[in-house]
Amino acid sequence: MTSKRLPSGPGQAPSINQPQVLTRNTIPLMPVWRLWVPLLMQTALILSVPAQAIYTQLTGRTVILQTAPVDPYDLLRGYSVTLGYDISRPETLQHLPGWKQVNDESISAAGSSFYVILEAPTATDGPWKPVGLSHVPTVTPNQVALKGRFTGNQITYGLETYYIPEALREQINQDISQAQQDSQKHAVRVEVKVDTQGRAVPISIWVDNRNYHF
Amino acid sequence: MISEEFRRQLHQEAQLWQAEGLIDGTQYQQLETRYQFTNLETVAHNRFILVLLGVGSALLGLGIITLVAAHWQALSPEAKVTLLLSLFVGINVAGFYLWRQPRARQQRLGQFFLLLGALILGANMALLAQMFHVGGSIYGLLLAWGLGVLVMAYGLQITTLGGLALLLTGLGYWQGVLVSEGDSWYRLLLAHMPLLAGLLFVPLAYWCRSSAIFVLGVTLGIAALEVNLLVALEIFNRSPGWIVALIFVLPPALLWGYNDWSWPRVSVRFQSLARRLALLFLGILFYVASFYELWTGPWTESSDQSPSNWAALLDVGLLVALTIFQWLSLMRQGNRQACWHGGRTTHVACLLMITAFVPVWHLDVSPIPVFAVVIFNGLLFLLASSLIYVGLAQGERRTFWGGMVLLTLQILSRLLEYETGLLVKSFVFLLCGTAVVVTGLGFERHLATLKITKGNTHDF
Repeated sequence: MTSKRLPSGPGQAPSINQPQVLTRNTIPLMPVWRLWVPLLMQTALILSVPAQAIYTQLTGRTVILQTAPVDPYDLLRGYSVTLGYDISRPETLQHLPGWKQVNDESISAAGSSFYVILEAPTATDGPWKPVGLSHVPTVTPNQVALKGRFTGNQITYGLETYYIPEALREQINQDISQAQQDSQKHAVRVEVKVDTQGRAVPISIWVDNRNYHF
Repeated sequence: MISEEFRRQLHQEAQLWQAEGLIDGTQYQQLETRYQFTNLETVAHNRFILVLLGVGSALLGLGIITLVAAHWQALSPEAKVTLLLSLFVGINVAGFYLWRQPRARQQRLGQFFLLLGALILGANMALLAQMFHVGGSIYGLLLAWGLGVLVMAYGLQITTLGGLALLLTGLGYWQGVLVSEGDSWYRLLLAHMPLLAGLLFVPLAYWCRSSAIFVLGVTLGIAALEVNLLVALEIFNRSPGWIVALIFVLPPALLWGYNDWSWPRVSVRFQSLARRLALLFLGILFYVASFYELWTGPWTESSDQSPSNWAALLDVGLLVALTIFQWLSLMRQGNRQACWHGGRTTHVACLLMITAFVPVWHLDVSPIPVFAVVIFNGLLFLLASSLIYVGLAQGERRTFWGGMVLLTLQILSRLLEYETGLLVKSFVFLLCGTAVVVTGLGFERHLATLKITKGNTHDF
C-alpha cells in the first residue's frame, strides 16, 4: 500500500470518481517547518558524533603513549590502524598501587571503567609512565588520569583506532610493522590528548622521528 | 496513477471511436480536456530535455565528487565539515522543494533526493567519525542513523524513508545482538528494542498509512521480543518450561489481541493484518515444532549473567501485561466486528493454551517428545484445514493457499523426516501434486460462483 496523500488546499474537494489527472496538485502544501525541524535534529545528530572528540582535542593535555605490537593480522582493518599500548595489557598494570581495588570481581566483570594515572617523563619526548590506578581522576600537576575499561583480557581507552587515508595505507602499515619488529623497543609512539574527565583522542603517530598526522 | 502510455493509447483509441461514430464531438472534447491529450507532445519534448539534464548533472556531480576526493586530505577539518554539512542540507532542501511541486515527475525526483539525503546522513556520520578518530561499533552507527532517518520520516510522512529507517534499525539491531561488547547507551537500546520498535514504528505506520511499515515494524518488535525471551531463558534456566511457553505463545497472543477499532481519529485499521501475522507466526511455529529432533535436543545452555540481561525482562513483563489487558478487553467486548476472524478468538485461545501447555509439561514435569510431536502435528493439521475451510467459505485466495501450503509442507516434511521407501515417497508426491492442482482449480471455480451469487444478491 503506497502512502495516500490527502487532497490539497481550499476549493479542491476529494472525489473518488474523478481520476488523478497529472497536472492536478495532489500533495498538500506541507509547511516548511516539517522539513527544517527534522533536518536540524539530523544535523545535531551528525555533529554529536565527533563532539566529544573535538572537545577533548581543544581542551586536553598532550600525552605520549608507548605502543605495544598488536596481532599483525588485525593491524590494518579497512581504513584504520589498530593500535595497542603497553598499558592495554593487565600485566603492565598489575604491580601498580590501586590494582586490587580496581580489579574487584563484581565491578570488572561488567566492563566498568577506572582511571590510570600517568606521570610526565623527565625527558621531553619520552612516553608517559603509569604510576597508579584509581576510581577517581584526581591528579597532581604533572600527572594525567586516563579512563580505561576492561574488555575481555585487555584494557581499552578509546584510542585503539586511527584512521589513515587509503593512498598511504600500505606505506604506513609497512613502516609501523617494520619499526615494531626492530630491536629498538621504543620505536612507535602515539600522541594523544587527554581531558580532565579522562577521555582521550589520538592525534598523531610517531614512528622513530616521523610523524603521521591525519 | 494514470500512465503516459495509457493516455497515448487513449488518444489514439478516442480518435478511432470518433471516426467510427461511437462517441460524438463533445464527448471527445471532454476526454481531451480530462486526459490532456494536447500536452502529450510537449511532455515527450520535456522528457527528452529532462533526460539530457539528468545525464549532464550526473556527470557534473561525479566530476565534483572526484575533485573533492582528490583534494580531501588537503582540506582543513573545518572546510571538510562545512562541505559535508552543506551537501547534506542542500540535497534535503532540494528534495523537499521538488517533492512539493505538482508534477508527478518532479515529485518522484524530490523523493529520490530526500532518500539520497538520508543516505548522505549516514555517510556524514561515518566520515566525521573517521575524521576525528572516533572508534566505535558499526551497530551503534546503524542504530543512530536509523533513528535520524526515522525523525525525517515522521516529519515528512514518507513511506520510503520509514522503510529505510526500519531497515537500518533492524540491521543495527542484528549486528548488535551478535556482538556482545559495546557502550552502555547502545546496549540499553538493544535490550529495549521490543518496546522501542512498537512505540517508534507502529505510529509511523498509522501516520504514513502504510501496511508495509506496520508489518516490518511488528516483525522487528517480535524478533527482538524473542531474543529478550531467550535471554530470560538463560536467567531462569532452572524452570525453563514457562519461558519456552512464553516464547511460543506471547507473540501470537500479542498480535491476535491487537485491537485498533476502539482508537479514535485513526484513518486506517491494522487489526486484520495483525491477526494474519499472528496466524502466520502460529503456522511457522507449528511447522518447526512438528519435527521430532526439536524435542529431543537440549533446550537450555548455561552462560554468565550480566546486568543488562535484567533490562530485557522489563520489556517482556510489560508486553505480557499488555497482552493480558488486550485479551481481557477483547473478551469484554464480545467481538462485535463482523470480520471472519471475529468468532475465531476462542479457537485461537484454545490453540494457544495447548501450545503453551506442551513445553511446560515437557521441560518442567517430564519429557514427552513423542506426545509433543503428535500434538503439534495435529495442531498444524488443524490450522491448515481451518485456513482452507475459511478460505473456501469466504472466497479469499490468500487464506486458502496459505492453508494448502501448510498442509503440503506438513505432509512432505513428515515424508522426508521419517524413513520411507521410494515407492511411498513417489506415491505421496503424486497424490500431493494432484491434490494441489485439483483443489486449486476447484477453488477458482468456487470463487467464480461465489462472485456470481454475490453479484446477484447485489442486484436485488
